[in-house]
Amino acid sequence: MSLKEKIFKKSLWLFHLSAGSCNNCDIEILDCLTPRFDVERFGMKLVGSPRHADVILVTGIVTKKTKPRVLEVYNQAAKPVVVVAVGACPCTGGIFAEGYNFAGPLDKVIPVDVYIPGCPPKPEAILAGIVKFLNKK
Amino acid sequence: MAKKTIVPIGPYHPLLEEPEFFKLYCDGEIVKDVVWETGYNHRGIEKICESKTFEQVFYVVERICGICSTSHPFAYANAIESIPGVEIPIRAKYIRSIVGELERIHSHLLWMGLAGHFLGYNTVFMWAWKYREPVLDMFEIIAGNRNNYAMFTIGGVRRDIEEEKIKPLQDVLDKLKPKMDLLVGAVMDDPVIHARTKGVGVLTAEDIHDFGAVGPTARASGVDIDIRRDDPYAAYDLVDWKVITMPEGDIFAKAAVRLLEIYESISIIEQCLKGLKKEQEGGIKNKVKTIPPGIGMGRAEAPRGEVFHFVKSDGANRPVRHKIRAPSYTCIPTFRKSVVGGTIADAALATAAVDPCYCCTERMAQAYDYKSGQMIYNAADLVKLSQQKTQVLKNS
Amino acid sequence: MAIEDLKRNVNEKFPEIKEIEEVNKKRLMIFIPRELLHPMAKYLFEDLKYRYVIVTAMDSQDGYEIIYHFSDDTSGWVINLNVLLPHDKPEIESLVPVIKGVEWIEREIFDLIGITFLNHPNLKRFLFAESWKDGEYPFRRKHTEEKK
Repeated sequence: MSLKEKIFKKSLWLFHLSAGSCNNCDIEILDCLTPRFDVERFGMKLVGSPRHADVILVTGIVTKKTKPRVLEVYNQAAKPVVVVAVGACPCTGGIFAEGYNFAGPLDKVIPVDVYIPGCPPKPEAILAGIVKFLNKK
Repeated sequence: MAKKTIVPIGPYHPLLEEPEFFKLYCDGEIVKDVVWETGYNHRGIEKICESKTFEQVFYVVERICGICSTSHPFAYANAIESIPGVEIPIRAKYIRSIVGELERIHSHLLWMGLAGHFLGYNTVFMWAWKYREPVLDMFEIIAGNRNNYAMFTIGGVRRDIEEEKIKPLQDVLDKLKPKMDLLVGAVMDDPVIHARTKGVGVLTAEDIHDFGAVGPTARASGVDIDIRRDDPYAAYDLVDWKVITMPEGDIFAKAAVRLLEIYESISIIEQCLKGLKKEQEGGIKNKVKTIPPGIGMGRAEAPRGEVFHFVKSDGANRPVRHKIRAPSYTCIPTFRKSVVGGTIADAALATAAVDPCYCCTERMAQAYDYKSGQMIYNAADLVKLSQQKTQVLKNS
Repeated sequence: MAIEDLKRNVNEKFPEIKEIEEVNKKRLMIFIPRELLHPMAKYLFEDLKYRYVIVTAMDSQDGYEIIYHFSDDTSGWVINLNVLLPHDKPEIESLVPVIKGVEWIEREIFDLIGITFLNHPNLKRFLFAESWKDGEYPFRRKHTEEKK
């Protein structure tokens, strides 16, 4: 039985968290909702609270100020939760890794399940990343 | 510096619950004071630029902001090229202007969608973002990426817009015009939108001057400034276009300025494409060997206003100091004027009207009781309040 | 105002100016002592109605350079006031009473270089987290004797 069937019996609720991003990835995530990609036909939707989330999409490098917030959001989310690092920034820090306000990358702060690199990754790449993880046996 | 992120608020885009950027202190329904805290998105970009070569800095500044991705390289190019005083080829000027104006179109459409969402018109949100997609496709054809185009280099541009790309670009613009008419008609003639936005969040010309606000925020208060005309660069003095201003200074004026600017941008791009056809292909860059010691101050008109870059060179291959000022840095403090004295339900809309660049600010607002200091609404609630007010007006 | 007229007026009104230099095409730099900041900023901002752009702070060899940028939108010129503060006394009067908009940038400079703006209405930490160490200023440089 795949992870999807085991744990997520209904459609996925996504929570989006920006940990200090340039918002390119945030816009591409929002783009997934719009008519061309229309992720809602798969039942995925964005929710307003991490407590309701099945998936946390994180964008941005983790700056020193957002690090405690990221931890708090992760702790609030009901487990099991899938953490997705969207974009080059949470994966490695990208070009901002040498900055003095860098407190990441994301997997040094919270456990990460899916890495979707790109600057920004196209909506197709974001969806493909999530679907690939869900179909993993 | 302070390139801060914004996370748009609302049921379609949840916000960071904890870090508050704006605290609105309220007495009953009225906002009495705005206090803000920032720094969540501070990535230390100016310092990072000091350890990159002048050419590499283009790729860093592109990522300051996802929406105004070209405006920062534009201003930086103007700054760095002014130090040796190099002129770029005419073909490069046209290409730079085309990319800059395409960005303006996509940015204003994005804003239109969000404003629609805050008002409770989610259809507007979906339409605006749907019509945005062909513009992003054009970016992909020209530059290879929907965002972060990497088109600029010292002395010119990195990629040409060849003959075969001009027709698809013109087709996209032709298809966009009737869609824009549809969108403008649906939004600008709606009596509920009039009720929600006219006379709300007003900024006077004096407020604009006090804070140094720029862009559509300033032009909507009758302040006639636009860097493309006042300090011309690229191809803006080679084509005919006009600066759009409105006198009222309210949210409706700000929306109108942005929508009408999209038409002007379409016209500028069409003229630039005609200009490109006259120039020979190739010849998109003038080689620059070194940057001598000196100071360059470059500006560009981003969708949100003037972007200002200050670069100091000492003859080496890296900047000694690179100061970056995004337009939202001076536009956002105007909230103090446009939000205070208004109702909480209007607060979300008034903040959105300034179009704070996602990456230049954080828009997480929470409302506190003035007397007790207790938090009464969080940002998602504020958007809901705004949407509810629209519902009430519609039903009455 | 035409640039020659501006230079003449400024020299007449403020004879203590150190130097006026056209650092680049349409970019004027006026080097002033600290005491002239308020009167000159008032003249540019209130009398001539130039637009406030931003403030840049740099740690240079001779001291901390603070550059106040103004834009004359009728001519496209950027007029800059350059104040040099000694390394051992990095403080200057806040310009908030004249230009409301400088409040944020003065706090940012306070964080990044450690310049104290006297009589600032709210000179608190602006960008950095509470966990940031006091006294660490990312934009301060080590100046060595050889460079002089």
